[in-house]
Amino acid sequence: MRRRTITAALFVLALVTGRAPFAGQTQNATLNASINGQARLSLSSAALTFPDADPDTVPSIQAAQGPITLTAKARTSPNGSITLTVQADDHLRSGVNTIPASTITWVASGAGFNNGTLSAASAQIVAAWTGSGARSGTQTFFFKNLWSYATGTYTLTMTYTLSAA
Amino acid sequence: MTANVNAKAKLTLGLAAITFADADPDVTPLYTSAPVSVDVKARTTAAGNVVLTVLASGDLDSGSSTIPVTTLTWAATGAGFTASGANNSTAAQTLGQWSGSGNPSGSHTLSLPNLWSYNTGTYTVTLNYTLTAP
Repeated sequence: MRRRTITAALFVLALVTGRAPFAGQTQNATLNASINGQARLSLSSAALTFPDADPDTVPSIQAAQGPITLTAKARTSPNGSITLTVQADDHLRSGVNTIPASTITWVASGAGFNNGTLSAASAQIVAAWTGSGARSGTQTFFFKNLWSYATGTYTLTMTYTLSAA
Repeated sequence: MTANVNAKAKLTLGLAAITFADADPDVTPLYTSAPVSVDVKARTTAAGNVVLTVLASGDLDSGSSTIPVTTLTWAATGAGFTASGANNSTAAQTLGQWSGSGNPSGSHTLSLPNLWSYNTGTYTVTLNYTLTAP
């Protein structure tokens, strides 16, 4: 009688354990992504040319390239400032003859872009934004065409700087 | 003699930490991790449904800045693994599913778009992988 009781008890135990309702395991993985400051600037044209013209008929000469497109991409902190500036390396120069860089102006289009006047003395703000992103706009350059200029082919270099604070 | 074969589940991930290093979005438009191996061992009833899910702890977070975790996608290889999917912090996503006991294994890679619009920071999210066997 006692042996039967034990056998039955084992059987019941096997049934109960065989119906274990669920097994599960959890594992975690941590993902880190480093997003650092980045800035990239591209211009649709690396050269600007102002053709010769009669000052009486064309007092302000538009660059032959027309509007140039600037694309500024930058990553910064939340509400960080992004600034695009341009500065001339010197006056327009043709041998010993010079024309002030300030005779070159631009008209801008695009959110955050400003109209302006070129300077060799200080960087001029072309555009300013808040926060990360990719923005584009245009600059159309004009050259003040005066009778007083000495003939020649005048050249200067403009340097654009995109900075993200 | 009685042998008790109960339901068991064991999950092993090849990596406990995944890191995306900073990169220029124009050069590397998509962060992609190295393959992370996934080893599943499960004992269940005949034709029991073994399921591996993943649930994110939230969006990728860096202080006040976030990147939606739904943009963190995976691509998986291996029998029974879901070939591709997107992570979610509200509903667990099925990464693999099998019928009956066994030891399937595979791997998956995680990818995140690298956008100029992100704020700078170190973003973190925890992915909770759960293996269940009835």
